[in-house]
Amino acid sequence: MSNKYSQSSTLIAAQNQLVQWINEAGMADSGRKSDLLRKIVEVLLHQCSQMIPVYLENILSLVNDKSTDVKKQVIAFIEELSKKFPEQLPKIVAQLRLLVLDTVIAVQKRAIQASSIVYRNTLLWICKGGASLTDAQYVWENITQLKLLVLNMIDSDNEGIRTHSIKFLEEVVLLQTPSEGGGDEFSLDSLPSHLPFINRRALDEESEHIFQLLVKFHNSQHISSVNLMACMTTLCLLAKFRPKFMPRVIQALADLHTTLPPTLSQSQVNSVRKHLRMLLVNLIRHPSSNDMLPQLTQLLLDIGMTTQEINKAIPKEKRNKRLGEIKNGDTPAKRLRVDSPQSNSQGSDSNGRTELNQCDEDSQPAATTQVITKQNVTEDSLFDGLNNVENVVNLVMSTLLNSLPTEMPENFVNSYKPIPNSGSKVQKRSLAKMILSLIKDEPLAPLLPPPALVAQPILSDLAAKIPLLRDEEEKVTLKNAVAKLQESTKADRQMENAVSKLMEETRAEHLKEEERKQKDKEKLVPPQTPTVPKLKQKVKLLKLQEITRPIPKEIKEKLVLQAVSRILRAETEAAIGGAANIRAKFITIFASSYTPELRDLVLNYILEDPVNRIDLALSWLYEEYAFMQGFNRHPVTLQPKVHEKHDQNYNQLLCSLITQICESGDPVMEGSKDMLLRKVFSECPVVTDDALDYLKHLVAEDKIALLALELLEELCIMRPPHAHKIVSSLLCHVLSDNEDIREVVIKSAVKIYTRCTVFTRNVIEKNALLYLGFISLANPPPELTDSRTGKGVWNEDLYKICLNLVMALFSVNEELIIKVARVYGCAGSEAKRCVLRVMEGPVRALAASGDLSPAFVALLDECPPGAETLLTRLVHIYTEKAPPTPELVSKVRELYATRVSDVRFLIPVLTGLSKKEILAALPKLIKLNPIVVKEVFNKLLGLQSTHEEYSPVSPADLLVALHLIDPSKDDLVFIIKATALCFAEKQIYTQDVLAAVLQRLTEEQEIPVLMMRTVLQAHTLYPNLGPLVLDILTLLVKKEVWNHKVAWEGWQKCCERLIPRSAPLLASLPPRALSACTAVPRLRTALAQHVAALAPPARAALSPHVLHVAQSTDEQFPSPVPLPVPPPNPLEPLPPGMDC
Amino acid sequence: MNRSMEAHAFLVKKGFKVKSYGTGEKVKLPGASADRPNCYEFGVPYDDIYNDLLEKDKSYYTQNGILHMLDRNRRIKHCPEKFQISAERFDVIITCEERVYDQVIEWFGSRRSVYNQPVHVINMDIQDNHEEATIGAFLISDMVTKMAQSDDLDNDIDELLHEFEAKCHRPILNCIMFY
Repeated sequence: MSNKYSQSSTLIAAQNQLVQWINEAGMADSGRKSDLLRKIVEVLLHQCSQMIPVYLENILSLVNDKSTDVKKQVIAFIEELSKKFPEQLPKIVAQLRLLVLDTVIAVQKRAIQASSIVYRNTLLWICKGGASLTDAQYVWENITQLKLLVLNMIDSDNEGIRTHSIKFLEEVVLLQTPSEGGGDEFSLDSLPSHLPFINRRALDEESEHIFQLLVKFHNSQHISSVNLMACMTTLCLLAKFRPKFMPRVIQALADLHTTLPPTLSQSQVNSVRKHLRMLLVNLIRHPSSNDMLPQLTQLLLDIGMTTQEINKAIPKEKRNKRLGEIKNGDTPAKRLRVDSPQSNSQGSDSNGRTELNQCDEDSQPAATTQVITKQNVTEDSLFDGLNNVENVVNLVMSTLLNSLPTEMPENFVNSYKPIPNSGSKVQKRSLAKMILSLIKDEPLAPLLPPPALVAQPILSDLAAKIPLLRDEEEKVTLKNAVAKLQESTKADRQMENAVSKLMEETRAEHLKEEERKQKDKEKLVPPQTPTVPKLKQKVKLLKLQEITRPIPKEIKEKLVLQAVSRILRAETEAAIGGAANIRAKFITIFASSYTPELRDLVLNYILEDPVNRIDLALSWLYEEYAFMQGFNRHPVTLQPKVHEKHDQNYNQLLCSLITQICESGDPVMEGSKDMLLRKVFSECPVVTDDALDYLKHLVAEDKIALLALELLEELCIMRPPHAHKIVSSLLCHVLSDNEDIREVVIKSAVKIYTRCTVFTRNVIEKNALLYLGFISLANPPPELTDSRTGKGVWNEDLYKICLNLVMALFSVNEELIIKVARVYGCAGSEAKRCVLRVMEGPVRALAASGDLSPAFVALLDECPPGAETLLTRLVHIYTEKAPPTPELVSKVRELYATRVSDVRFLIPVLTGLSKKEILAALPKLIKLNPIVVKEVFNKLLGLQSTHEEYSPVSPADLLVALHLIDPSKDDLVFIIKATALCFAEKQIYTQDVLAAVLQRLTEEQEIPVLMMRTVLQAHTLYPNLGPLVLDILTLLVKKEVWNHKVAWEGWQKCCERLIPRSAPLLASLPPRALSACTAVPRLRTALAQHVAALAPPARAALSPHVLHVAQSTDEQFPSPVPLPVPPPNPLEPLPPGMDC
Repeated sequence: MNRSMEAHAFLVKKGFKVKSYGTGEKVKLPGASADRPNCYEFGVPYDDIYNDLLEKDKSYYTQNGILHMLDRNRRIKHCPEKFQISAERFDVIITCEERVYDQVIEWFGSRRSVYNQPVHVINMDIQDNHEEATIGAFLISDMVTKMAQSDDLDNDIDELLHEFEAKCHRPILNCIMFY
């Protein structure tokens, strides 16, 4: 009692609560309402279900609520209700239909989800048979319409709705097909047959068509990855529970594997493949796949699973069977075989891929012995044929000879990829499959109707038998639908099939456009099942390409132009808005990526005010450069397609910028031209050849020449990698006839030369040497004459021009001296002179450093032929300021000994030579030009040198040496002149020195020719030397001087000069000599006086002939009056024998 | 236990309704050597595991961060759970390793759907160490935030994942399964 009471009391409480909630819900906002509704439903379903009929309407009225959540709650309620209280179905099914058509997608999806459950529950409810016939029929009609609605949604443009409808259709197919396994699952068989509105056969056929629709959807080219995977799952589930679908499902999956939709991204492809693998493994484990094991195994192998993995996945009992098959072998017995009986009776699947089903028993084992004809050909016979090399060769040859097109078709190029596993069994097998499908599908083959054609009568029959059609309109639509199914005729499908087969080795990225269109068309016209009349216009996918027409190119370009000119005009606005950078970026992208008109527009804009817009120009240049180099980082759409020659674009832009800046007559710009050009040249990413040419050309323009030269120099220095190219355009102006230009260029050249790379240095040197080489030519080369009309003759200026570059470089690189010397050797005398003059400055600068430069040493070592004079000159310059270094001396000495015979060469280093060498060279030296001789003596005597220099030869030595020179007739004059030079230097040749010299001369074995002359001269200069002279004379007497003609004459003169002191000498002479002496009256007189003055004893000591001569004097010769003898000119005495 | 829990913690903080599961036979934690992992049944509380390891070798498990991780985990939930025995239905399942993804879709593939309720299964490979787990948690949070912002995830997921993949430079697997 109490229990009952308490139950009813809780019920009442619950009812009260319910009423309260329902009232509250009516007022609440959506969130609260949804909460309340959940509670209401909960209580209603579980606590007071008897109140459902009372409050049902209240809840169902919320179908029109604004809130999505509330609607979803209602759907959940309907779903639950259909399960627990199916007797309420007549009341709720219409509401569900409304909800499926809801405007909110989330609600729609939830409704579709609920629909499949409701549908199942409906069928169960009908089966139970508790309901009245009218109710059942009403619900059935509604649910049929609902089904149709959802069926159409498979082409919804919302992916989620498509996914849900796939799932719904799966349920429909499952429910509407007979279960073969006879499990406790609900299936078509459970439906009662007595109800007039339910036709089992029709439902079965409907499910067949829905299945075809699913397969078709599954294999369509534009399916999304999520839909595809949902579809795959669905198909596999169907295959598991309804084995009759198994072969077609496996075929569909195999087709999918070979031709995945081209729209998938890489990771989607990965996901799909993974999914496929998972599904296939699930399938292979499922008992219903027993018959299809070989196909599944093959497919898994194709996917990339190893045999071990597959075997692991296969249940044990199956595996044994499989092993047995493998043992049987590699022979033709190993074949794909399909013997599921329903495959043929079911007609074709939507893609007509049924060749797997064609392997009939009769054509297999006997195939090897049979003659293979078109009718009985099978995949296996083809496979065997492919194993025969001869067959294959014949096949390939005949194809090559008969069917190979002359040009490769475009679709082949696009779709062909190398066959990865060529020659393998798998590949042969699939090749056989392809050939088979080609052979079988030939429309000319009349004896074997392709399987899909079988479907036609069946479908037509279906159309007639469909029982669900209620009115004419529906019939018409249905007919259309059937017609459409038939429309996609066998031929078309097989064509499509064959094409996709051809591509099956790899997944073609892009199918041929036509085929895609064709498939689009097919997709847009969804396959319709006969039981499903059309209710409303199909919801088409929104395809922008279909509803819009492309704007004509001209208009597009015009629009772009206008847009860009607006951007260009908005300079100030952009600056104010802080978008100046972005604007610049835009402009550069536009200018570089689109049409030439656009480029012109932007270029003109820049040139309107280049001073302020030069930065824009530069960033544009960089943009072009990026394109040229392929650095661009813009999406493909922005890349220039109209004109592909990026490098030209860059070049053109650069050149037009430069030329326009230079040539604009705008006076405002005149002042900034300099800056602009400099900026463009120095900041542009690369200077093209054309731009360089223009710059070269600018040098010829008077006004701007110097700027151009500066720019060239800057380019060389700032762009070292290109300097070698640029520098030659600068260097050619070295030969310019404008002196200013020459100077600037040479300065630049030196500057570049000191800073640049070896490569550039080489170029500069090469040029310098080229110009240097000109001077050895007989006539000035065209480079020089061209600019000066008609001047074909060398002159000093021309020589200088040729030399100036190399001379300028010489100060930096001394080694050039060798090159100069070489050219000098071959040059004419005029040129040589010029070189000598020009060299002077630089070499002097070089010599000032003091040390001998290595280059100079090398030159001395090499001494190019003909360059001796140059060398002499150089050595000269080197020794001007400083005494010759020992190294230099030895080099010179060496050269003198081997190559240069000219003694002048020695002069500069004289002081460095040894005494012996100097004395050896002396005879040659004194023969030189008097001025040179004077210089030599100055050097030897240390007269000129400002620096401390000790001559290896003392003055006395020198004079002695002069006397000892072998006095051939010619030399004598030079020797006399040389001694005269000595005597002129009184500061050096003092009395002492001369005394020493005389002393040494007397000591000589032979009496030197000039000795007496020197004695006389010395005495003349220094009368104090008298005693010494007397000594000498005495000594000479001892040497029998009278035998030496020239000396004897000098001796006599000397005696004469020394009278009376020389009288005793005369007395000591032998008779012959005395008689010769006394021929001179003064001597005879002197002798006589001497004898007379002698004391008698002394006189007695005299030899008799002396006495005789002395006495005869008095008698024979009158005593002469001593005449004043004019002193001889000491400076110009002639030696005896020379005075006539 | 590392990656998923890191992400779990992170997503909970962001206010998502989230749960984390293992898919293996047992809960495995690195042991003293590679061939002797510490195994526990699902359902053993994190506390117990923590104490067990604390007893076994406190310094070792402190050093390799396992204790720290367990400590974090026990603040999030009571014990490790196994995905395959969970009765809950989710909108999105995220796995951090391809092997786990395989197990999840395998599980879905092997059973029949009852409710026809779709679920998106997404895999993003994350290496199993602390640093990568942290990075992974950020990435997952990013991805989930994007998903939450979508009005119609079913419709947007392809594009969303594609974009995300390009952004995070990690390959992503995804599919749709049904409860």
